[in-house]
Amino acid sequence: MTILNGCSFDVARAAITTVIGPNGAGKSTTFKAIFGLLPLRAGCVMLDGQDVTGLTPLQLIARGLCYIPQGRNIFPELSVRENIELGGVALGRAAAMRARVDEALDRFPVLRQKAHAQASTLSGGQQKLLEISRGLIGRPRLMLIDEPSIGLSPLLVQEVFATLQDLREDGMSVLMVEQNARSALEMSDRAIVLEGGRTRLVGTARDILADPRVARLFLGAEIELDDTR
Amino acid sequence: MLWDNIDLLIAGLATGATYALVATGFTLLWQTSATVNFAQGDFVTLPAFAIIGLHAAGLPLPLALLGGLVIALIVLGAMFKLLLVDPMLSHGLLPLGIAAIALGVALQEGTKAVFGAEAFPFPSVAGGFDLGPLFVNWQDVLVLGAALIAVAALQMFLARTRTGRCMQATAQNPTVALILGIPVKRMVMLTFLLNASLVTLAAVLISPAILVKFDNGGSIGLSAFCAAIIGGFNQVRGAIAGGLLLGVLENFAATYGPDQYRAAVPMLLLIGFVLFRPQGLLGRATERAV
Repeated sequence: MTILNGCSFDVARAAITTVIGPNGAGKSTTFKAIFGLLPLRAGCVMLDGQDVTGLTPLQLIARGLCYIPQGRNIFPELSVRENIELGGVALGRAAAMRARVDEALDRFPVLRQKAHAQASTLSGGQQKLLEISRGLIGRPRLMLIDEPSIGLSPLLVQEVFATLQDLREDGMSVLMVEQNARSALEMSDRAIVLEGGRTRLVGTARDILADPRVARLFLGAEIELDDTR
Repeated sequence: MLWDNIDLLIAGLATGATYALVATGFTLLWQTSATVNFAQGDFVTLPAFAIIGLHAAGLPLPLALLGGLVIALIVLGAMFKLLLVDPMLSHGLLPLGIAAIALGVALQEGTKAVFGAEAFPFPSVAGGFDLGPLFVNWQDVLVLGAALIAVAALQMFLARTRTGRCMQATAQNPTVALILGIPVKRMVMLTFLLNASLVTLAAVLISPAILVKFDNGGSIGLSAFCAAIIGGFNQVRGAIAGGLLLGVLENFAATYGPDQYRAAVPMLLLIGFVLFRPQGLLGRATERAV
């Protein structure tokens, strides 16, 4: 079955790009296709001018990509620290990795506190931070993050978004899918509207947020009723 | 009286430690590839026959042991995974479980066809030493020591080495393991090879006590299965605890109760756990979306 057809966009460097669209638009599928988890029948994925279509996750990690899927993606019975260490498993060099794990723990004091606790004892928001810090071990240039806010309280969503903004300041690019479209767009630089497996609109987040069609479709604006009768 | 009980405890721990080995392999297969290996008991029989076969054919014992391990790695490790588990796994857990039962029957009937229905002795260590009023067999010491060392080494490997952690990660969340670039397929194959090694060691340790017979697998498999469930089913540490507990209880029950009920102990324990502590000794309840 073809899910994506006519899906084409660029991701800006050191910026947050958010993909929005109705259910079944192909947002998650796009991410899986980029990360080599689904076969592409046509088309390609370019990273810094190089064709990375069809590479394995391992090869993509080595080229600076990282993917954080929807939902809970931790190893519940390993400790927080061990979970983070596994983010560097593809890269080898255990000694260099140890320093990076400490760096990641320093970035998130909550995780430092619980470094030796089983990951399953973390709250939902802490688990998301764990996934992000695990992704950072590979020093990614582009992070694909799918629905980071799902299942989190508004306060925690703000914390996760703030973290992504910090990472953007550090020069990392973020490509994010978010149902929570309004608050996601407010912190994003660019936006892509996906519908039926096609890119419908591409632009700055500000423009997309202001677009009445987008507002009507995805942002929960009131449908204008025709009551001239 | 006390010394009698200590004697029973040592013998029980020795039996239990071999159950723990088999149950650990069982749990590992379940974790990494959702395989409930109902042929696990018969997996213990095959290397035992391979070793006595090679030994009888003239190979010195160390080489026969090594040969038994190699045969187990090939047949019970690689071939089991590639020819049975991989093709059946996509059809669901139940068909795979039934295929494993069929494999168990095939192993039993196969060894019976080659070696017959008689029980063969298996080489063991002779002698022993006095411990107070007790006479302790070197064989019991060997069994308990080797099994405990193997289980401890396995735990160290899983917890401390990179490959071990990757295996745990694969068991706990294969999708995420793949996304992190962990070679999931290699880790799963490694689990099957590890299981083959564990059952070979169990075969060497338990065979002197029970002799080598084509239908040994039934009771060993049942005990290991119960030990795994008692321990929590999804926990290697649980399988070890379950195995030791079961071995000790079996020995005490056989001494203080009617001997013919010895085989009922695992079942009674199993029923008790399923009724009152279904998550097992060390296991945790897992959530399931409905």
